[in-house]
Amino acid sequence: MEFETGRTPAIQITPRQRWSIAITYFLLVAGFALGVNQRESTLNLASDYSNLEAGISAKYPARWLLEETGSFIFRVRDMAHRGFNTVIEVSAAPVGRDTSERNIFDLLTLRRSQVLTDYAVLGYDNYLLADDTLAVSMSYSFVARDSSPFLEGVSSIVNGLDILTIRRGQALVVSFRADADIYQRELETLRWFIQHLEF
Amino acid sequence: MQSETRVQPDPAQADTYSFLPVWRNLVLQLIVLTSVLLLIVLAGEFIQPRFDPRIERALSFALAALPLLLWLYVSVLPESRVARPRRRLFGVAVVSALTASAIGLPLVQEFFRVQDWLPLQSVFSRILGYTFTAGFVDAGLKFIVLRYLIYPQGLRVRGDVIAYAFAGALGYSVFLNFAVVWQLEPNWNIAAIYLLSNVTVQLASSMFIALGIIESYFSDAHPLVLPINVLVAALSTGLITGLVGGFLSGPLSTAGNADRPLFAFALLGASLVLALGIVYFLYSNSERREREAYVSRWNLDGI
Repeated sequence: MEFETGRTPAIQITPRQRWSIAITYFLLVAGFALGVNQRESTLNLASDYSNLEAGISAKYPARWLLEETGSFIFRVRDMAHRGFNTVIEVSAAPVGRDTSERNIFDLLTLRRSQVLTDYAVLGYDNYLLADDTLAVSMSYSFVARDSSPFLEGVSSIVNGLDILTIRRGQALVVSFRADADIYQRELETLRWFIQHLEF
Repeated sequence: MQSETRVQPDPAQADTYSFLPVWRNLVLQLIVLTSVLLLIVLAGEFIQPRFDPRIERALSFALAALPLLLWLYVSVLPESRVARPRRRLFGVAVVSALTASAIGLPLVQEFFRVQDWLPLQSVFSRILGYTFTAGFVDAGLKFIVLRYLIYPQGLRVRGDVIAYAFAGALGYSVFLNFAVVWQLEPNWNIAAIYLLSNVTVQLASSMFIALGIIESYFSDAHPLVLPINVLVAALSTGLITGLVGGFLSGPLSTAGNADRPLFAFALLGASLVLALGIVYFLYSNSERREREAYVSRWNLDGI
């Protein structure tokens, strides 16, 4: 076996080396702070949305994908997330005077239970909007699978939350869905979205 | 109060110890590791063997452990046969793995959430983003581990720093390897790329940190040399991580986008050779300068 040879090392560190270590710690803290700043500026970067016809304006995360064609006014999706993409969907429908929030939720449940796997309502609650008015919410869950049956992949459990308010003969529903693993974390985005939603 | 003056070794009383050659062992392990991973990538590309998913997962976990097993066999076990072994190799690796588990990975994944916002950025933004997030977190943690476990008490020759930095990189990357296999459940040929990526990123970063410690401690270099090396370590993480994703993903087409593991493998291999080449060149240069200074001083004293 070959060996390298060496001599007795120095034992103490010099003032110059102490400075060197101190500057390194300072650099690490500065680098970390820059990383936090970059994260904040990118994660919290918002885009504006407004729809004069529907009378809605909102802010949504700039890195999310905006879609306006479909059975909704608009929806935004986090396409960067692996698996089920977190989505916030805003839709509106005219309602009669006698229509209650529960009627609308039941209608949504009927429709979804036909197209979503293992759809189950988890409960109803109140939700305080940014203007201090009280809306009604319904939480639910279902199992999401890849749209193509030929793609290999594991199904994921999705949690959802509908927030419903009725104003001026219009029922406005904000539907939020996220993978169950990140649902609690993503609720922050929904709260932020609701705070900036005007209709 | 202790004197702050560095104790210079007296050539006349200098002890001569035996140490395991660190570079040869390091290169040997990397050659074996990259060869095994290349074979797996090539098999995945051209033969496309199909296994039961449970067997594929077990293979991926075995691959994740491969760098650790190689290191134990080539670097750690032979230490017991030398006069002055590097006793803290295992400790540095374990503590590095624990810091990756307790601080590194949670910070990068849960706090910075790089997977949510960095992959869709431009190349330049990705490099900067990974540098200031994963780069600084990884380099900082590995530097702190080395600082408190071996700097300066465990350092006798320059090779010690390289050996301990390699142990730190290995411990850190092995934990990341297990995490990636556990979380993403990739096919085993794609797992090979992830594993090589983790090892390359952590090794390149650790080698630059080691170079900074060597220059600072053994050459008493300018106080900015160590921080600059740590900065380069973070930047190397940003560069490799920022680029490898683009190399791994194929262009979009109507049929979707297929992975291109061979492209990613080539990038990682080149990064590994380049980083080690730069560090080895500067390491040899530093060693040569010290040897020349020592010889010239000895000549002066002798004459």
